[in-house]
Amino acid sequence: MRQSLRAIALFCARLVGTRLVDFQTGRDLGKALVIPWRGKVHVIGLEQAVRAVFLPQKRLTYWKQEIGFTTQPPPDFPNQRDERETS
Amino acid sequence: MANVLNVVLSHQPPADVDRLVGYWNSLLDLGNVVIAYGGPRSSFDRIAFNKKIFIGDPNLRTQDHQREAQSYTAVFKEASLWLRNRSDAIHFVTLFEFDHLPLVRDLNARQVKRLQTEGADVLAYHLARVDDTSHPHYLHYAANGEFIRFFRKLSVRDDPSVVLSMFGTGSCWTHEAFDAIGAFIEPFPVYFEIYLPTLAHHLGFRLRDYGDQNTFVSNLGDRSGEVESAKNQGAWTLHPVKTLPASL
Repeated sequence: MRQSLRAIALFCARLVGTRLVDFQTGRDLGKALVIPWRGKVHVIGLEQAVRAVFLPQKRLTYWKQEIGFTTQPPPDFPNQRDERETS
Repeated sequence: MANVLNVVLSHQPPADVDRLVGYWNSLLDLGNVVIAYGGPRSSFDRIAFNKKIFIGDPNLRTQDHQREAQSYTAVFKEASLWLRNRSDAIHFVTLFEFDHLPLVRDLNARQVKRLQTEGADVLAYHLARVDDTSHPHYLHYAANGEFIRFFRKLSVRDDPSVVLSMFGTGSCWTHEAFDAIGAFIEPFPVYFEIYLPTLAHHLGFRLRDYGDQNTFVSNLGDRSGEVESAKNQGAWTLHPVKTLPASL
């Protein structure tokens, strides 16, 4: 029952929610309901793991800034075992 | 060909376990399988297959796996111990859940080749960097100061704040990386899909993922009806397959 209600609520959130786009790549990140509430921004229904960042802007404005979304790059870190063992 | 040990984790009834092992052994060119059993002790004793390890850790036996912080640490510890008592050299260890079905005879050769091509120590499905993101598991542990302190203390990396996530099933490890994880004790319960890759990363191991093969491994549902189509599309494995097809 609880799972069904949750699924219905998420369906509605995605239905009326906004489509989020990766500001770096233009990739579709899915739909979510974004609600500012009590000093925070609540993101409901988003399936993708995203990072929220203030976007760079060419025009200097004092009255408006934008928060956009992007993702972390795929992990591609070198092996550092050898360095640790020889240091 | 390097020696690979496939650790297959199951909690199914003994007859199902024996049938699954029969499938693994008949499929793989150089079938090298050990069962890590997380079911009741009485069922473990009735498994006919003799390469088996009983995992008694209650942290493996969770219902709500994420919220109860399911742990595979005991599987790593027991399998490491089991490997130490073998006479033949094992170079790589894979870890599969019971519902993750291998589909190709040379699965281990393909895994080792990809591992070597990537210059990696660990291959995992759906490997992702999740720190500073909306990933629910990351956010849960970001609220825990102990989690942050633990990795900061042991990390050999320049950035100790990196957090990785992976699927629990299908990972392939060098023997060294597998043992290194088994040598650690979790400081507090951490869900293993975050704990294992993040610990391996901060110990200095290189992790990569399976790329195109991720398509054939998903976390929900039952893909038992997709075995043939997955094979035709080039799948090495398929997950989750809740019922072993009668044709296999």
